[in-house]
Amino acid sequence: MNTFQKVIAMTVVTLIALFAVAHFSHHADPSGAKTGVAADNPVNNGAPVKVAPSQVGLNKLANATGHLAISINFVWLLITGFLVLFMQVGFAFLVTGLTRAKNAGHMMMMNLSSFVIALLVYYAVGFAFQFGGVAPIANLGGTSPLDAIFGHGSSGVIGFHGFFLQSGNSYDVGVLAFFLFQVVFMETAGYIIIGAIAERVSFAAFIIAEIVLAGLIYPVYGMWMWGGGWLSQLGTSLNLGNGAVDFAGSGVVHATGGWIALALAMILGPRIGKFRKDGKPNAFPGHNLGYVVIGTLVLTFGWMGFNPGSTFGATDLRISVVAVNTLLAAAAGAVVAMAWTNAKWGKPDISMTCNGMLAGLVAITAPCAFVAPYAAVIIGIVAGFVVVYGVQFLDNRAKIDDPCGAISVHGFCGLWGVLSVGLFADGTYPAPAVGWNGVNQSVTGLFHGGGLGQLGAQIIDVGAGFVWAFGVTYVIFTVVKRFVKIRVSPEVEIAGTDEGEFGQVCYPDFVLRAETHAGVPAEFGGDPDPVEPSTVTSDRT
Amino acid sequence: MKIVIAIIKPFKLEPVTDALRALDVSGITLSEVRGHGRQRGHTEVYRGAEYEVAYLPKVRLEVVVDDADVEKVANTIMDAARTGKIGDGKLWIQPIETLMRIRTGEAGRDAL
Repeated sequence: MNTFQKVIAMTVVTLIALFAVAHFSHHADPSGAKTGVAADNPVNNGAPVKVAPSQVGLNKLANATGHLAISINFVWLLITGFLVLFMQVGFAFLVTGLTRAKNAGHMMMMNLSSFVIALLVYYAVGFAFQFGGVAPIANLGGTSPLDAIFGHGSSGVIGFHGFFLQSGNSYDVGVLAFFLFQVVFMETAGYIIIGAIAERVSFAAFIIAEIVLAGLIYPVYGMWMWGGGWLSQLGTSLNLGNGAVDFAGSGVVHATGGWIALALAMILGPRIGKFRKDGKPNAFPGHNLGYVVIGTLVLTFGWMGFNPGSTFGATDLRISVVAVNTLLAAAAGAVVAMAWTNAKWGKPDISMTCNGMLAGLVAITAPCAFVAPYAAVIIGIVAGFVVVYGVQFLDNRAKIDDPCGAISVHGFCGLWGVLSVGLFADGTYPAPAVGWNGVNQSVTGLFHGGGLGQLGAQIIDVGAGFVWAFGVTYVIFTVVKRFVKIRVSPEVEIAGTDEGEFGQVCYPDFVLRAETHAGVPAEFGGDPDPVEPSTVTSDRT
Repeated sequence: MKIVIAIIKPFKLEPVTDALRALDVSGITLSEVRGHGRQRGHTEVYRGAEYEVAYLPKVRLEVVVDDADVEKVANTIMDAARTGKIGDGKLWIQPIETLMRIRTGEAGRDAL
């Protein structure tokens, strides 16, 4: 079969699969007319309204207000989802700015292609694996078709309704609103890995990584935490607090992306010339720090959807606490990184300050709804330290080349964020009657009298998340690299992946600085006797 | 006829231009270049890793002048470009064999 025939064959198979799952029932609500009824009035707390025959007018009124409440939640969920979608712009600027001009087109193309490919894979299978058994979400007035879960009671491991947004009658307004919000979260994990594999990964290997991420690694762990799976049920099964709690995804999204990035960066190895013979790291300065700052600010703006939107509804007024906590942690992380680099290296480091801001955002993502503002600041401060020491550790000790700091920002700070729930959750949210993960109590951490139960659940969560995301990626790509060239050739890497992988360069009208080829060792045609950077200090001109 | 070539700090371009205009010098060519002198650049830290900034941004000016004006022009550039600190740059003077104006074909002093 030639390539064209393969594409046709794959399209036909996909279409057959689509029709196979396209059956409808009366339980789903594809038009939206039946979603939001009297029983959805917030005042009812979900209890059905009992209406006497003489109260027909009252019944209509109750239905109308119930529909209104659900409508407000839909708008909130969709708008915050659009904000999360905008984070892709931030990631594209961030990682492209942190890499060299000769790879800028490659970086942008990875951002673009990850979006479209991962989206279709998640639509086909990922969403069903993750949320096929999530059960009705009260804030959306239903999503009842998503009720198929494998593993009974508290041992759920995978869901299976919602393939192609059709199977199990999942063609439903609530399900699709939920899908939009969740697919952009998955995309975020997909962008994270780009930062760590930049400037050397082959485009083909990257596509495979995105398919594996969107179809398997992200949704399965996401199901354990958010889809009714075993980690979220540690409260009901082992009496560990409210089970593992991750409000908006420090673990589910960020640590998962970070651990996949770690495995890929280890398998790929460092960029040519990154480490000198004596093991010291060479600096490959990013080509546009303006992009880095713009990207960071766009991401911060998008995070105003990422965290507050994770209530799935604006009728939950905790959204203001979530939003303010998120900003506080971002600022604290940035200030710590700025001050630390200034104290240690003599000048504040621009890109590390950006990393510090993102570190605070990543860390507060899990606890943002459960902690007080003071704790958000502390969590952000700790995250600022975690990221600067994380980058140093990977560069100087582990010798793992992470051009954009993705592993430190998302992996290490994601881990810290999940743990911080078990320490700082203050027992004010949610109301005990509502409960979390099927346990009717507010989420409470060690420092607020919750004991070690919640922290225990969080520790199990980070352990399981690491083993799953890192382990599966490592195993799969150890196999994949036997069949697919996962790294570009040295010639392409030195000349730039723009030219070698796409035959198009991002900046055709500019001559690239000679330093863009710095650090190339003699075996690849570089300087046979590189001079150590001199220690002379001079005035800058 | 001589060509005066000066490598100066970029922020000194404006005072040098003003001073040359005051002398009624009309033809100036500018290139943005990078280079180093005895200092051989300096090191910076990027995300914790040291790297060498060997070539610093400079501006290269070229002015063609009549023999009689060479000394005056050279001294004017040096006075205007001097800060007294490391990195002020270099200036040198070379003889010119022929000078031609492309539009009219005039040669020698007429082409100035």
